[in-house]
Amino acid sequence: MAPHDHGPPSPTGSDGPTEDPWQAVAWIVAGVLLYGGLGWLGDWWLGTSFLVPVGIVAGAGLGIYLVIKRFGSPPGSAEQAPAPGREDK
Amino acid sequence: MIAGTIAAGLGMAEGGGFTPPGPADFDLPPIVGEITKPMVMISLSVVLISVLFYLMSRRAAVVPGRLQFAGEFVYSGVRNSIARDSIGSEHFMKFVPYLFSLFLFVLVNNYFGMIPIVQFPTFSHSGYAYGLAALSWLLYNGVGIWKHGFLGYLKHVAVPAGVSGLMLLLIVPLEILSNIVVRPVTLALRLFANMFAGHLLLILFALGGEYLLFEADVTALNLLGGVGAIVMFFLVSALELLVMFLQAYVFTLLTAMYVAGAVAEEH
Repeated sequence: MAPHDHGPPSPTGSDGPTEDPWQAVAWIVAGVLLYGGLGWLGDWWLGTSFLVPVGIVAGAGLGIYLVIKRFGSPPGSAEQAPAPGREDK
Repeated sequence: MIAGTIAAGLGMAEGGGFTPPGPADFDLPPIVGEITKPMVMISLSVVLISVLFYLMSRRAAVVPGRLQFAGEFVYSGVRNSIARDSIGSEHFMKFVPYLFSLFLFVLVNNYFGMIPIVQFPTFSHSGYAYGLAALSWLLYNGVGIWKHGFLGYLKHVAVPAGVSGLMLLLIVPLEILSNIVVRPVTLALRLFANMFAGHLLLILFALGGEYLLFEADVTALNLLGGVGAIVMFFLVSALELLVMFLQAYVFTLLTAMYVAGAVAEEH
């Protein structure tokens, strides 16, 4: 499909979509909910009481890992692959 | 400092029986039968927007009149700075009608909170916000399935780039939860909570100021607190005017970004 021609080019200069910064919040909240929830299930099943905090911390950690993975390096930095996420053949 | 004075004033007046407003103040009695005020308002907003934009486009001219100019200003703002900058020039035009209607719908319903007599933001009832977020959820997931196919979209949503091995096993459920559940819920929650809290704050300052000035014992502290509360009411109103616009903008922008994420080749 030919690109549409509507008005002046976007002020950001690039044509590509901008990233959603709230994705970071979603990851961390999802991590806490998911692994905290699994911890709660584990506690309920095993009769322990330490798995909820462990799950919450682990989930938040995984969420932060994803945030660093995606947003950690600035877009123009040398270490980053030319197009993020294209390394699969 | 003002808040402290008000609190002290309200504390002094405790014997008089000031009941602070709470979530119960949002449960308005139905107008007729099962029909509630937010239901009327949300229908009214659709009529208002339709009529306004019909009038704006009816006599579309190359040199726009004042009304047409205003309409085109809003339209091109949503189209260029929300839709095109988020989704990219290849696909964005398909989504402009939805995003434009969404923006106006949220904007008008938010500003209902400031218009005298109406004076109630529709989205301070959480159900309306969840319904709207569900629409956006259907849109971006539908677009993703249309673009990548069902299994392709599932992979797109679940598997982040550059993660492998055991980490992938831990990350996949997290990605699914974050994309399918957390994002739409936070989308709705952000709109609802902002409208709810803003309106509650306004009720508090209005009722508190009125109570201190006209119903509590006439003391210097009560009068000072009352005047302070009324001043705060106007300041928070000004802030709310900004927040109401901002929430409409953010809701539309995030919907556009979710669509962008769904149509992206790889993320």
